[in-house]
Amino acid sequence: MHLSHLKLTQFKNYESQHLDFSPRLNCFVGFNGAGKTNLLEAIYYLCMSKGYGSTVDQYSIRHGDRGARIGGTFVLDDEREDRIVVKLRKRQRKVIERNGTAYARISEHVGRYPVVIVTPDDINLVLEGSATRRKLLDNSLSQTDPQYLNHLITYNRLLDNRNARLKELEGHPDHTGLLGVYDAQMEAPAMYIFEKRKEFVDPFTELLTQAYATISGRREEVGLEYKSQLLDTGWETLLAERAEKDRILQRTTGGIHRDELVFTQDEHPLRRVASQGQLKSFVLSLKLAQYRLLERSTNRTPILLLDDIFDKLDHERVKQLLGLVMGSTFGQLFITDTDPERITSLISHDPAVEWQRFLVVDGVARNEAEWKRFLEEE
Amino acid sequence: MQFSSRLIEDAVNAFAGLPGIGKKTALRLVLSLVQRPTEDSVHLARAIASMRENIQHCITCGNLSDQTVCSICRDQRRDKSIICVVESIRDVMAIEETQQYRGVYHVLGGVISPIEGIGPADLNIDTLVQRSTAPEVREVIMAISPTIEGDTTIFYINKQLTEADVQVSSIARGVSFGGELEYADEVTLGRSIVARRKL
Repeated sequence: MHLSHLKLTQFKNYESQHLDFSPRLNCFVGFNGAGKTNLLEAIYYLCMSKGYGSTVDQYSIRHGDRGARIGGTFVLDDEREDRIVVKLRKRQRKVIERNGTAYARISEHVGRYPVVIVTPDDINLVLEGSATRRKLLDNSLSQTDPQYLNHLITYNRLLDNRNARLKELEGHPDHTGLLGVYDAQMEAPAMYIFEKRKEFVDPFTELLTQAYATISGRREEVGLEYKSQLLDTGWETLLAERAEKDRILQRTTGGIHRDELVFTQDEHPLRRVASQGQLKSFVLSLKLAQYRLLERSTNRTPILLLDDIFDKLDHERVKQLLGLVMGSTFGQLFITDTDPERITSLISHDPAVEWQRFLVVDGVARNEAEWKRFLEEE
Repeated sequence: MQFSSRLIEDAVNAFAGLPGIGKKTALRLVLSLVQRPTEDSVHLARAIASMRENIQHCITCGNLSDQTVCSICRDQRRDKSIICVVESIRDVMAIEETQQYRGVYHVLGGVISPIEGIGPADLNIDTLVQRSTAPEVREVIMAISPTIEGDTTIFYINKQLTEADVQVSSIARGVSFGGELEYADEVTLGRSIVARRKL
């Protein structure tokens, strides 16, 4: 599967932009702030119906405009084409259309066009709190199981309501029994999510180990451990035990929103024992493992987005990574770089790889031919 | 929009403050009133003022009513043993349109949603529980939107009604009549399969 065409209207710093892509390798080069990452973000939107990280839809609309549109054409393995359109409007629900028809639910879209993004912020997976690691779980599972995303949306909505109720009570006991209603309502989605996360770990660890060995060339044994309050106790007991604590703290302290994924190296916590280099290799391995997992469960070759990897990763690791992802077992790639020659020098020695380079300047991206014409006209 | 008359401008702004009416529609309404006889405008103004001053909520069910008790609750032919619980007055109208229901109603005034600041005490739930304990009431039907908050409200009310000797039911949910299966979304279709009915 690959993305053959992208059309942006009033998205981020792009006014109007058409791009045709290579099914293999696409490079966006330009200065910082020119809009390279915004192109990756647009592709991510088409696959996941939202931006990555903490991007808010409202801020994806070009400054001063009232709406934005991202259109893309995916070519599937059997040559069929799917046209996807994401429409963002100020103060309105976003609309996602496939071949002209809007989806009733976003969960019907997520997972059709698998995508993995590698960004410099990935290091936060190891350094920051457990929320980033739950996001990794949710991101992988949502793309492979539409029910998972539905349950997650339901669970989070109920959790927000339950927390709002606890705040409303201001530390007083709940005589109405409404909290009990939430506990009962949350059980089914919580247990579904818990079971899926638990099942995720073993196959993922296997893929992670393989990826780590390839990237680092080392033999440390890396792994993951899933930790959940539900491993020790059932849903009802858990919430009953926490009732008093919830009342005092005025928030829900038990549930799958407190799950944790612990990374290990040779059975020790990764953060304690790994060197900087090992951490970077590990984070990259996580993403490659995710790539293989999505490929396996969706039966489609995911799109890989590599954002700004050159500035944060050392030269050797970049070379190794590129060598790997340019191999025949990977699909379409999008890479950003500030140096227009760096990628070319790394890949031009391999004539087998079909690639396109785009020069990005102030919200306009041009392919080589357009760029030449632009320079001649100047 | 530029107005030659302050009077017209005030009237347009008054109409445009209503839901579903923009400035242009408001102007059309105002100009139409200008062209008609004065009595029409007086009649309209009186109808609005009289409606607003005299309309009240039925003390039994919460429906809109001219009198303390609404026409549905007063109607001797309606079956007082069944109470249909709805979110809003519009739902009462929608169900009445079907002409399939001969019981009485209970209007909650919304659904439980603490994130929106609506708790059980903000809705007409206590009065429902009180009504349901009356000996003639046999069944309470929940006709509430199939949303997360709607479900919370149904479960909550069901819990409150355990003391009352009534059967609590919920309206059927599933594939819409006249709709085709392939166009039903997966959640609805999934629920329909699980809650299938014996023929």
